[in-house]
Amino acid sequence: MRNNKSPANDIGTQYYATQLGIYDEMYATENKALPYWERFMAALASMGSEKLELRRREAQRLLRENGVTYNVYGDSESLTRPWRLDPVPLLISSEEWIVIEAGLKQRAELLDLILKDIYGKQTLLKKGLLPAELIFGHEGFLHPCVGALQNQPRHLTIYSANLARGPSGRMWVLDDRTQAPSGSGYALENRTVMTRVLPDIFRETQVHRLSGFFKALHKGLVDIAPHNKEDPRIVILTPGPLNETYFEHAYLAAYLGYTLVQGGDLTVRDGRVWLKSLAGLQPVDVILRRVDDSFCDPLEMRSESKLGVAGLLEAVRRGNVAIANPLGSSVLENPGLLAFLPRLSRYFLNQELKLPSVATWWCGQRRERDFVLQNLERLVIKPINRTSVNHAVFGGELSSKEKDLLRCQILAKPHLFIGQEQVSFSTLPAFIDHQIEPRNAVLRNFVVASGDDYMVMPGGLTRVARQKDNFIVSNQAGGISKDTWVLASEPDKPVSIWTQPKRNQHIDAVTEPLTSRAADNLFWVGRHLERIEAATRLLRTILLKLRETLEFKDPIDDECLKVLLRTLTQVTGTYPGFVKGDTQLLKTPEAELLSLAKEGHRKGSLTANIQALIQAAFNIRDLWSQDTWRSVDNIQRRWQQRVVNNEITVEQLQDHLDDLITGIVAFTGLTNESMTREAAWLMLDSGRRLERALSLIALLRSTLALRHEDTLQNQVLEAVLVSTDSLTIYQRRYRSFIQLPMVLELLLLDETHPRSVAYQLHQLSVHVAALPKVKSKSRLSEEERLILKTYTDLRLCNMSELTLADENEGIYTDLESLLSNTTDLLWRFAEVIAEAYFSHSQTSQLLMPNSAEDEL
Amino acid sequence: MKYRITHTTLYHYSQSVGLCQNEAKLQPRNFWRQHCHSNHFDIKPTPMDLRERVDFFGNRVVYFSTQQPHTQLIVTAISEVTIFPKQNNLDLFNQMTWEQVRNLLQGTPLQGQSQSQQIQTQLQNQDNNLEILDARQYILDSPMITITPELSEYAESSFQPNQALVEVVHNLMGRIYKDFTYDPTFTTIATPLSEVLSFRRGVCQDFAHLAIGCLRAYGIAARYISGYVETLPEPGKPRLVGADASHAWFSVYIPGMGWLDFDPTNNTVPLDQHITLAWGRDYADVTPLKGIAFGGGQHTLSVSVDVLRME
Repeated sequence: MRNNKSPANDIGTQYYATQLGIYDEMYATENKALPYWERFMAALASMGSEKLELRRREAQRLLRENGVTYNVYGDSESLTRPWRLDPVPLLISSEEWIVIEAGLKQRAELLDLILKDIYGKQTLLKKGLLPAELIFGHEGFLHPCVGALQNQPRHLTIYSANLARGPSGRMWVLDDRTQAPSGSGYALENRTVMTRVLPDIFRETQVHRLSGFFKALHKGLVDIAPHNKEDPRIVILTPGPLNETYFEHAYLAAYLGYTLVQGGDLTVRDGRVWLKSLAGLQPVDVILRRVDDSFCDPLEMRSESKLGVAGLLEAVRRGNVAIANPLGSSVLENPGLLAFLPRLSRYFLNQELKLPSVATWWCGQRRERDFVLQNLERLVIKPINRTSVNHAVFGGELSSKEKDLLRCQILAKPHLFIGQEQVSFSTLPAFIDHQIEPRNAVLRNFVVASGDDYMVMPGGLTRVARQKDNFIVSNQAGGISKDTWVLASEPDKPVSIWTQPKRNQHIDAVTEPLTSRAADNLFWVGRHLERIEAATRLLRTILLKLRETLEFKDPIDDECLKVLLRTLTQVTGTYPGFVKGDTQLLKTPEAELLSLAKEGHRKGSLTANIQALIQAAFNIRDLWSQDTWRSVDNIQRRWQQRVVNNEITVEQLQDHLDDLITGIVAFTGLTNESMTREAAWLMLDSGRRLERALSLIALLRSTLALRHEDTLQNQVLEAVLVSTDSLTIYQRRYRSFIQLPMVLELLLLDETHPRSVAYQLHQLSVHVAALPKVKSKSRLSEEERLILKTYTDLRLCNMSELTLADENEGIYTDLESLLSNTTDLLWRFAEVIAEAYFSHSQTSQLLMPNSAEDEL
Repeated sequence: MKYRITHTTLYHYSQSVGLCQNEAKLQPRNFWRQHCHSNHFDIKPTPMDLRERVDFFGNRVVYFSTQQPHTQLIVTAISEVTIFPKQNNLDLFNQMTWEQVRNLLQGTPLQGQSQSQQIQTQLQNQDNNLEILDARQYILDSPMITITPELSEYAESSFQPNQALVEVVHNLMGRIYKDFTYDPTFTTIATPLSEVLSFRRGVCQDFAHLAIGCLRAYGIAARYISGYVETLPEPGKPRLVGADASHAWFSVYIPGMGWLDFDPTNNTVPLDQHITLAWGRDYADVTPLKGIAFGGGQHTLSVSVDVLRME
């Protein structure tokens, strides 16, 4: 135990207890903190524990708002785990960094040469430098990829390694990530947040910037574009929002300006890869891949995969698309390879490894296998193929029966196992429960090919275990992340990821194509938004009316309430609800009203619509600005915290509904003010307009299309005006006379009123005409024709005829038929839009004989 | 012996298919027992894009994509092949024991670990080493064949100590032929080997997989062959066109001799009636025709194969 005698120290550095036999980052092997750590800790100590805790929470808030930890389903069983950031970074001195950097570069070069050989000439196998079983027995070796590597200076474009420091202070490589390394986006986001929560300390410490790495990444991806294309189209291929690192895919897409795509957004034709966009097929040159390689092409690899693009490998073979990292590169993640790297380094580079790997014995060799079997309890045993059932086990933690079983497994297929030395990781200060405490840490580094050379991100993603003395450091196990500060000997100027154009160079603006999947999601964001708003406004009106009935006990109020309750069921589509005619339910509607607000599993409820809105918005996370996403986050979080997770009464609901309306308005306001009027906005707004028209018509059909006696009619008319936020405008226009034809005039036909049906139809026809089209310009498209017909039918109606009614009928027949006709046309319009623009929804099927053909 | 083979596959869809990507391994290989004179494809609708290549295992593969809307796809492959019935008698009387073969396969090429130095010295040349290296991948588990204790158990009685490998394989083939019922209604492509083994039923593909699994369980390299077999008409009756279909059998590696074919469905050693299309670790490597179609609704599939003896 060592003491730090700085004054006013309540963050606990004086109690910082390092462990015997474990290297500590702050103290190294000395008795005194390293000078750069001492300076940093003094700055933290002067801040004090309370303030530091506030900063930590601030960091947490920023991370959540930026969607780093997004809980899509708003419940505790969500797939995504919270991303935790500790305010104490890992500090690495510039002298030490030089060593790590050189080691990582060397390793990337070596792995690149091995990759090239395995999928090329296979000299290593032929010369016996790599055993056949090690390569052919690994699932990452993909037979169809042999011979498919293209002519590039480097094939391994992105490389990542997990590093840890052993007791001697030496850095070890724990494992290599070569197929679709994740974490660089998280490292960048951690840095962004750290500079906001510890701005002073960050400024005073000379820290290397990260943006240079991303600039190199961009350049690296441009470099591998086929046919030396100067301004290639680069896309990020993601498995989708259910993937645990989806945030990062969206984040990098937004940061680097690439289109985020899923397999269904791409197609292969004429041996080329194309992006299915609203404006038709757009060629794709480079794919930054976050889908595992065997899932990338269902034609040549896993045929059951829905994440890939059929024919992708054929396009690669023809040199028409480049993929980073190339398909098949997961073969390098085989942990058995670690045992052969020193030999291969001498063979290829004539050098010793600068960064050693953790000692590894591959059981495919007799001597090594015997060693592993004899030392089972001292080693970590790993299968060379990582699957959900096969994972690493600590030999020492096994019962003798389990050990026997493992021995049998190893003996049966020895080439599928390795034994690895159990290593202790160094400790590093972390701010846990208001105190600075030591925690075991692992550092993930990132390397990118730039031309013939490799560039290492000066920094990385450090992760520490939550509990003390725990070597399991992962997000799955609830680990905490840290920023990594590589100290510079002189101030590092921030590098912009933008390329500086030459003076007076004219740059063509490129409109990034909107994928049909993104268009689909935008359209639904708009629709859900309006569904929420319509239901919320109607619910508010009902709550007001409910209060009046209790207060004044007027039978007309009761009747009006019943009309509104039935309308609510119809507008939200939550049958049977109030429509069934259950008098008890109509008399005491509170429980049903709360259920329509709260219950997420109930289709049509507010919570269900909010979840659907969030899901659709999250699917296109890369398209939203920071502020817009924050407003989405607010809607969901506030509703979840205040309504869903709380016991509330119907009276309290009113305030929360007001709050929800404010949230919705903030979102629409932001999108109106910050989205360019291109395809994305057109889709979003078309969804809104369509749904607003549909909701409004549903409202009118179950209120005004019904005949009521005069006093009730007046009440219903007023409620409809309130519910559509149109009472004020009506009063100003028509003063105190409230009459059906005038209300209809305002809500159906007034093109200047943003809440009228006419306004929605007019906007839709303008949007549809502006959407990108492949077809001829002289002829109207199907969707244009439909909206034109809908709008014309409405405009041609005669208001006085609409409100003429047969004495014997309970409804205004002409009005009802106009409204139902409009609804039908709008539904058809929605279908046509989906067919024309959301082509990604076409599903694929595997063609293969399902029974073996045979003949004796 | 010369044959003309016409292999037709017809897909019919209930709805239009806009795009279909396909991979065909329908062209007979050339090797010492067989020569393919000609091969051509007749595909309707005509694919916009068609490319031929050679795969990892040396098989000929054709990639094609049908990019115009269609409701029916017909793929016909027509090949003319000569089979040389020069089965080396020495092969069938090869006396190398299965233990020797296993040790030899395990020993090379990592230096200094061979148990059978004698044989090793006989084979000390580059070609043999490469051949053995190539054979070693056929000992490991493959997508459709995973070695299990059940497989070893079934195979055990065929692996008598110091038995010549050729004898072992003959014995194993005979047992599979005797123990298993040929039943096209029982299995599909997806039926796992364990079920074939426990119900003792299957078709040619299953029997080939089973034999391969048994051999690999004892460290012997075995591979899967897809192809055709000629069916002789009964005397006096006309030969039925389309009566024949795809067939499958297996091959075993014998150091110094090469690969020897065995047909467990018919309990024979192929001579001049087996036409080889492609080989690989198992069916997954040599699927004659597979594709991914976009749209299409329900699809139906029919296949006909005509193996015509020309001389």
